[in-house]
Amino acid sequence: MQRPLKFLNHKIEENALDMTYNPVENTGSVIYNLSLIKSEDTESAIKIFKDAYATGLCVSDRVIFAPSGTKIEGFTIPEGYCGICTLCSLILDSLLYQKGINVNPIGGGLVEVEKLIPRRFTAIIQYEYTTVDPITVMISQGSTSIGDVIESGSGTITGNIRECHMESESAVFEVLDDLIAAGFTGVLDVGAPNTELLGVPVNTNYQGIAMIGGTNPIAAFKETGRWAEVQSMKGLMDISNFSLISDY
Amino acid sequence: MSFIRSERKCVEILRILKEHQEPIGAKRLSELMSEHGFTLTDRAVQYYLSYLDEMGFTKKIGNHGRVLTSAGIAETERALVDERIGYVISKLERLAFKSNFNPETGKGNVAYNLSCLPESQVDDAIRAFDEVINEKISFFSSYKIIDDDPRIPEGQTGIITVCNITMDGILQNHGIPIKMTFGGTMAVADRKPTGFVNLIGYRGTTVDPLILFINAGHTSIDKVIKTGNGVVLAIVREVPDAAVPTVNNIADAMKEYGFMFPIATGSGIYNVRADPYRTSIIAYSGMNLIGHAVEKGLDIRTELGAGNIPFSIFE
Repeated sequence: MQRPLKFLNHKIEENALDMTYNPVENTGSVIYNLSLIKSEDTESAIKIFKDAYATGLCVSDRVIFAPSGTKIEGFTIPEGYCGICTLCSLILDSLLYQKGINVNPIGGGLVEVEKLIPRRFTAIIQYEYTTVDPITVMISQGSTSIGDVIESGSGTITGNIRECHMESESAVFEVLDDLIAAGFTGVLDVGAPNTELLGVPVNTNYQGIAMIGGTNPIAAFKETGRWAEVQSMKGLMDISNFSLISDY
Repeated sequence: MSFIRSERKCVEILRILKEHQEPIGAKRLSELMSEHGFTLTDRAVQYYLSYLDEMGFTKKIGNHGRVLTSAGIAETERALVDERIGYVISKLERLAFKSNFNPETGKGNVAYNLSCLPESQVDDAIRAFDEVINEKISFFSSYKIIDDDPRIPEGQTGIITVCNITMDGILQNHGIPIKMTFGGTMAVADRKPTGFVNLIGYRGTTVDPLILFINAGHTSIDKVIKTGNGVVLAIVREVPDAAVPTVNNIADAMKEYGFMFPIATGSGIYNVRADPYRTSIIAYSGMNLIGHAVEKGLDIRTELGAGNIPFSIFE
């Protein structure tokens, strides 16, 4: 008997129950994305990651570049490929759930950036309506221009948005502060209560929080015409496996 | 008098211009805006137009009126994200309403998609389309090559394919409440559909799911044709359980005219979650024709729901 497909909101909620990350102590498991690139492209990928980080287009300063043969949670990086693990921006949603905050993850899509300031979402797919990660398909489709943002400050990146009840604003900011202290740099914008954020409306008495998509640097790499395969929300892994981008 | 410019109105003007192939003057625009529920004086329309000209979204064609620039077309696809959620389908619903094909007589209008590609690739496209039709993984068993439509760019050829929304229109005409639920990718094994791989609900997206799946490389239509195994595009509609016999009668009548739907009707089938009181209708998408052409590397651009056309052009 086939079971009905899981939609993204189901997956996000399941992750929230399983993730054990504690940003204050920087311990526990985090949600990660796994991308594959060709081994010979590793050096140029590292350079693009550093540029993307310097421009503020990474969710966090942690990353893993895993050469072929490396085992990542039961998956072996195939011969001729390099695996890249990045932190998933949905870690924020999991932490918000765990703190008892009323959070509704809304969806993911494309964000227009002008002179390094996020201006508006230009495309969005709501999590409740999709079984495939919106950001991953939009990257595969080639809808981003992250390279332009790195070069000139203007272009299209990927991002996602959730809303929290305004009553929990101080608790939300505690979580955001903890994350920033733990090297998370991916918060795009926090909206005022009852006010749309980057063109996306919120429910009554809710406020929006927009994050950068964790796979933006891979998308920037893919824009250069090289091969890459992105799998977002691949699973959970201990944060201690990750290194700093600057270590590569 | 102070004047607050509304982005909503700007975008509506752009959308109206986009729907028309010829230049439109300010007076006509003001009439069309009012038909769409936006009352603007001629003077206000002039004001909006000069602002849109300044932004580079519209341009004047002599005294004939204005047309969209490519920046203007891009803006209609980028602005007002919140109200574009679900717009993919509400745009198609207009065409559904006008699809009055009669399954008894074979007369009336159907909704179509318009694809354009370089003249030099037309033969390849015909081959790609025919293979999909022979494999019976499309919505309709024919298409039409045209070259006299102003929307076709210089040096290109147009191909008209029947849009699945035609089915919605015909069922609606028979008084059946139909919901356009999902566009998705369907796994095929041994030339039989086995279950959806992914689904995107029309009500929760600003981008067309099927075009997204094609462009993101989620299909392997050519593999299905060659080996019988792969992934193709399919759609899900929902109707009240009591409407199923009527739906089946209509589908049978339409098979006579070359329509190929549904794959199946049922509740909780092919990995689609069940609704306790509605039945899912699952059908292959006509976009498999386009998807196959894209997989073959053809430079094909498609406008979904480009209009309504008499069914007789396919005969």
